[in-house]
Parts: sequence; C-alpha cells; structure tokens
Amino acid sequence: MEVWQKVFLKDADFVQSTHGKVGCVICHGGDSRAEDKDISHVGLVADPSEANCNTCHQDIAHVNETSIHTTLSGFKSVLEARGGNLEEGSPLATAFENHCQSCHTSCGQCHVSRPDELGGGLVSSHEFRQTPSTQYNCVACHGARVGAEYLGENEGIPGDIHWTLATMTCTDCHGQELHGSGQRMAIRYQNPDSIKCDDCHEDIWTDVTSNPQHEQHLGDLSCQVCHSLAYKNCYGCHVSIDEEGIPCRTSAPSEMHFEIGHNPLRSSERPFEYVVLRHVPSCLGTCDYYGDDLLPDFNELPTWKYATPHNIQLHTPQNESCNSCHGNEDIFLTEDDVSEDEKEANSEVIVKDVPTPQ
Amino acid sequence: MKRLAFILIGLLAVLLLLATGCTAPALPAPGEEVGTCVICHSDKDLLKETASPVEEEISEETSGEG
Repeated sequence: MEVWQKVFLKDADFVQSTHGKVGCVICHGGDSRAEDKDISHVGLVADPSEANCNTCHQDIAHVNETSIHTTLSGFKSVLEARGGNLEEGSPLATAFENHCQSCHTSCGQCHVSRPDELGGGLVSSHEFRQTPSTQYNCVACHGARVGAEYLGENEGIPGDIHWTLATMTCTDCHGQELHGSGQRMAIRYQNPDSIKCDDCHEDIWTDVTSNPQHEQHLGDLSCQVCHSLAYKNCYGCHVSIDEEGIPCRTSAPSEMHFEIGHNPLRSSERPFEYVVLRHVPSCLGTCDYYGDDLLPDFNELPTWKYATPHNIQLHTPQNESCNSCHGNEDIFLTEDDVSEDEKEANSEVIVKDVPTPQ
Repeated sequence: MKRLAFILIGLLAVLLLLATGCTAPALPAPGEEVGTCVICHSDKDLLKETASPVEEEISEETSGEG
C-alpha cells in the first residue's frame, strides 16, 4: 500500500456518518485551520483509539482492555510460566518490547485501518466497520498459520470447509470473544465466550447413533483430531537486533505435520484426552541475544501446544476407519517426533502408548 | 480599602483583556473542521504529491515465518 493510499478518502460519505460528524481534530488533533501540511499535522495522533473510543463505547472498550489483543497476555503468561522476568528494564522485557509488542492491536486497527504491524492504512476510506475485514485485519496478522489453513493456501491441502462451502468469514464464528472476557486471561482458550464447534453443531451430542465414531469418541477427542488436516508448525525462532539497530528474527523452515497428543489444557470445558498439537516457533534459545538463561523454567510448558487448526473437513485420512488412527504411530506425537532438548518440556503431551489396532 | 482597590484593579484588567480579544482562540465546534481535512485527504493527486516517504524498518536479516 502506497503512503498516500493509506490516508486517502475514496469517498466523502464518512463525513455524514455518526463518527464523521464528530470531526477530525476531536480525535486526531492537529490544526484544521492551517493551510500548510506540516503545520496542520503538528500534534497529529494517527491512531487515537485508546483515548477516544471509550468516550462512547465504554462497555466494549472497558472489556477490551483485558483482551489478549490489547494486553498480549498470551505471550506474557507463557514467558512468565517459563520463569521469565518481565519487570520493566529487564533483558526479557526489552526483548518483549522489541519483538512482541508490535502484535498489540487497538480498536482502530481492527475497525478502521489495517494493523500497524502491516504498515497501517485505511481499509475502506475512513469507514468504521463493525465487522473487521477478514483479509485486511484478521488474516493480516493471523495469516502465516490459521489464515493460510483456512483459505487453503498450503500446497496440496484444501481450505476449511466453512470457507470453501459456506464462505464464512472469521467473525462468523469469532465475535465478542475477540474483545476478551473482562478478565485477564493467560490463554485465549480460557475465555468462556471462546467459540466451540458444538456451539453450532449441537446435534453431534444428540444424534450419536447415526455416527458410531461420534458415539465412541465424543468427549475423548477434540473435534480437530478427526476433522483437520496437516497444518503448519514453526521451529527455532531467535530474536536479535541487527547491525543497523533494527529488531530482527530468524526461524527454521516451517513444516506441515499432523500430530495427535495428550491434552495439555484438560478442563471441564475441554475434557479431551487427545487433541491436535502444533509446535510453536519458540525454543530454548529464542531470547539468548538478550541474556543467558532468561527462561530458566523453559520446560514448564510444552512447545507442542493445544491447537485448533482451521482446515476442517468432513472426511479426513484419519477418520476413514478405526485403524487409520489405532496403531498408526505416524499421526501421534511420539518421542521420535520431539527434539532431544524439548523432550522434558513435552513429556506430558507425548503419546507413549499409541492406541492399539481394533 | 486597599483590598477593595486591588479587587477593582484586577477586575478592570480582566475586562480589558477580554475587550482586546486576548483570549485563547476558540476551537472549531465538533464537525466544523471536517471539510478542511477532507478536502486534502480526498484529493488523490495532492496526496501523491505531498506524501512523505516512510521507511519501513524491516531488517534484512529477518527470515522465516513469525
């Protein structure tokens, strides 16, 4: 997107909207009476979300203050669980500021413009879109894994059936949960409003007789175990600062795998014994540039994480027959699939005894 | 008596300042200034002409997927 495009108002309809009638300077500052560009932009606030939205949208803005999109508590909770010290001024806090903080999003970066991480730019003139754009907002950030899966961009793997058959967009499933729950969460799956398959597919619980596999496995297996395909796994992320002082990162090539393992987040909401696991980019030495042993309890959490791949299909290789899974070591996360230095971290999720053939 | 004089002088000073227009310029009422901003921001040619290049700070050493 060219610089001029980012601030171009294709049509002036916005002026007549509720937000348009408020005026530019009220939110963005600057001096609308100055004719000189530089003078008129003195004190300009490009993204005024945090100071202004809550004036009218108090309820949502208040809840959103706790959302993972706002607080990045998902990152922080993992780093802290691994023994990381995120106190201001600590080496890990500096690393966080340089490499993680940019994933923060604001009201405007979902509802008005593209996220800053992607260089910003108005999505549709200055229209406030109640529903963020799948392409310019959601997938702009969540594109490498979930977005590519959902849209079928991984070679040889079809897109999610909810997209290919019904053209459902992200917000057709993910609604208010994106604003958080009003309470700080360590992970997004803790949000009670987090969408679950059976929120729509209620009949899987009541119509088990027509599907013997459901009758056998409901509650023991997450839906994705039977209904998703291979998905992207990332490894070996290392962050640092380059010679010009710009934050940079490197990671090993990603790999497409499908791995069933034990559920690391077992709860009444997610009681499954087996779930699909995805390898996260981080590794033992991710932050080594900033200091030694910054994550002293690295093994407290698995690097193969509870996952909900977005490439759902009705029919998959693993639900063809009982023995597509039973006795098939290839689709389970076993000792051989885990690198030596991560075996301890993943000991709880590694499948030691693959279910026997039927 | 002295106190009364001070008060009167103070009041006179304030009245004088108001009369000579020595007050902060009033901000445009909400919505009033929209036109000015919109005139420039809906003029594609003007925006192209006046756009300041922004250097994106992406390290050449970055590789792999995040």
